[in-house]
Amino acid sequence: MSTIVIEHLARVEGHGGITVELEGDTVTKVHFDVFEGARLLEPLLKGKRYDEVAPILSRICAICSSAHCLTSLKATENAFGIRVSPQTEMLRELIFRGESIESHALHLFLLALPDYLNYPSAIALSADKPAAVLLGLRLKKLGNLIQEVIGGRAIHPVNALLGGFGRVPAVDQLIAMRSSLLQAMADSDTVIDLIASLPATDFCHSDTLYAALRSPNLDTYYMGDEAMVVSNGNRAIVPAADYRSLTNEQSVPHSNAKHSTFQGNPFMVGSLARLTVNPRRLTGKLAVAMKRLKLTLPSDNPMDNNKAQALELINDVERALEIIERLLRDGVRDERAMPVHARAGTGTAITEAPRGLLIHSYTYDEEGRILAADVITPTALNAASIEQHFRRAVEQCADRDEAVLSRRLQMIARAYDPCISCSVHLVRKG
Amino acid sequence: MKPLVVIGLGNPLMGDDGVGARVAHLLAEDGEVTGRADVLSGGTDLLRYQDQMEGRRQVILIDAEVSACEPGQVRLVEESPRENRPESGHTLSAAQALELMRRVTPSLEGTRFTWVLVSVRGAHPGTDLSPEVAAAVRRAAEAVRRVLQRQA
Repeated sequence: MSTIVIEHLARVEGHGGITVELEGDTVTKVHFDVFEGARLLEPLLKGKRYDEVAPILSRICAICSSAHCLTSLKATENAFGIRVSPQTEMLRELIFRGESIESHALHLFLLALPDYLNYPSAIALSADKPAAVLLGLRLKKLGNLIQEVIGGRAIHPVNALLGGFGRVPAVDQLIAMRSSLLQAMADSDTVIDLIASLPATDFCHSDTLYAALRSPNLDTYYMGDEAMVVSNGNRAIVPAADYRSLTNEQSVPHSNAKHSTFQGNPFMVGSLARLTVNPRRLTGKLAVAMKRLKLTLPSDNPMDNNKAQALELINDVERALEIIERLLRDGVRDERAMPVHARAGTGTAITEAPRGLLIHSYTYDEEGRILAADVITPTALNAASIEQHFRRAVEQCADRDEAVLSRRLQMIARAYDPCISCSVHLVRKG
Repeated sequence: MKPLVVIGLGNPLMGDDGVGARVAHLLAEDGEVTGRADVLSGGTDLLRYQDQMEGRRQVILIDAEVSACEPGQVRLVEESPRENRPESGHTLSAAQALELMRRVTPSLEGTRFTWVLVSVRGAHPGTDLSPEVAAAVRRAAEAVRRVLQRQA
C-alpha cells in the first residue's frame, strides 16, 4: 500500500490536508481532511436578539463577511415578514458584486496564477509578472472600495441593517466608484487574455452535479429563494425553506466539515455551478470571453472553475457598473430602514457568496430571540465533491509519481477556492 | 496628503495583536503628531492601504511581533521583519503584503518604511492587552514620535 499525505494545503483559507491510499493501482481511500476547529457560532447565537445576529455571523469569515452579513439579514427578514425596498435590494446586490470582485481577483491572481505558472507564491510570481499581480491587487482594491462605500467598511459591514441601510451612498462616492469600475472594464480583456494563456489543466474529468441560486431572469447573487441542481440535462428545484433536502449533511470521521449530498451524490457550488445553472447570462461580451477561454458548459473538469471565476470577474464589474449608473440616473432616495416587528417563526435565506451557495436559517421566539440557527457555507457544500474529484484525478493519472499526484490534487483543491475556516460548524457526531 | 503616514496594524479584538491599533489611537490624539503625519488604524490587511502609502516620503508601521523577547519590548527596524510562516494570499502577513506591494508598485520605490514592533506572546480573543504589552503602548508611541522628529 502507498500513501500520499499532504499535511497542509497552501494558498487556501484555513487549515486542511489531503490523504490518499493506494493498493497497487486501486484507490482505496481519499480524504479531504479538514482539521480546522469547529466555530460553534450557531450555539453561541441561542438566545441572542435579532439585531445581534448578523454582526455576530459576519465574523464567521473575513473573506466573505459581507455575504454572511447580508444573508443573515435576509433570513431574519424572511422570518419576520419584512420586505425591503428595491433600492435596498440593489445596494445589497452591489455589495455582493464588490465582494465577488475582491474574492475572485485575490484567488485568480494571487493564488491560482502561481499554481499554473509553477511559482511557489504570489510574491515569487511578482518578480516575473508584476503587471499581473498589480492588476489583481487593483481589482481586489476595487472590490474593497465597493464594500467600504456601501457597507460602511470593507470587512464586517456595519451599514447594512435589518430592513435597509443606515445611510445611502452619496453621489460623489458613486461617481468615484464608477470611475474605478470603468478602469476595471478596460482591464477585462487583459483578465481573459491572461487566464486564456495559462497551460491546460486536463487531469480530472468527472460527471458533476452543480447547484446554485436559481435566477432565470435576473443576474443576481442576492435575490431569489430557490436553488437549482443540474446534472446531465436533468434539473431539480429546491426551495430555500427546504434546503435540508439539498444538503443532507452528514458528519465524517476525518473532517470537521460535514459532507453534503443531493440524492446520494456530491455536488459542486461556486462560479462554475452558477454559470451552469444560469447559462442565460452568458451573452455578448461574456459569450465571446467564454470562447476565448475554451470553456463549454456543462463542464466535467473542476479546474474550469478558475475560468468561470474569470468570466464572473468581468461580469461582476459590468453588473456593478450597471447598478451604479442606474442609481446615478434615477437618484438615490434617502430612505430609512424598514421597521422591524419581531415575531416567532423560521426564516431561511440562500444567496451566492463568491465560493457558492450560502444558506442561513434561523428560528426565533416571539420576542425575536434565536431558538435555533443553521449556517451552511459553500466550502462545506463542496467538501464531498472535492473528495470525489480527488479520487477521479488519482484514478485518471497514469503516472503514479507522488509529486505529480500531489501537485494535481492541490491544484484541484485550490480550484474550488475553498474557505476551510468557514466550512466547519457545529458537528453533531453520530 | 502629508508626506508621512503612521499605520497601526492588528486586530483590536485579539488581545495583544491589536497593540499597533492602540498605539495609533494614542498618536491620533496628539496634535503635534497629526500636524506632521496622517495616522491610520489599519486593521489586519495592509494591502488595503496601498493608496495611503503611495506618494509618501515615509511610512511608519506599528505592529505586534511574536518573538522570543520578553513581551512588551519595543524595537524599531528599517527592514521588514523576517518571518517563518507559510504564505497564503488569503492571509498574507503585513510584511509579506508590503513586500508584494513594493515589488509591483513603482510609486512605492522612493518611500522609506520603518517598523515599530512590539513583542507579544501571541494573540487571543479579547479587547484587553496583557499588562506587559499595555505598558509598552506609550513607549511605542514615543518611538514613533522620535522617528517623526528626525524627519522634521
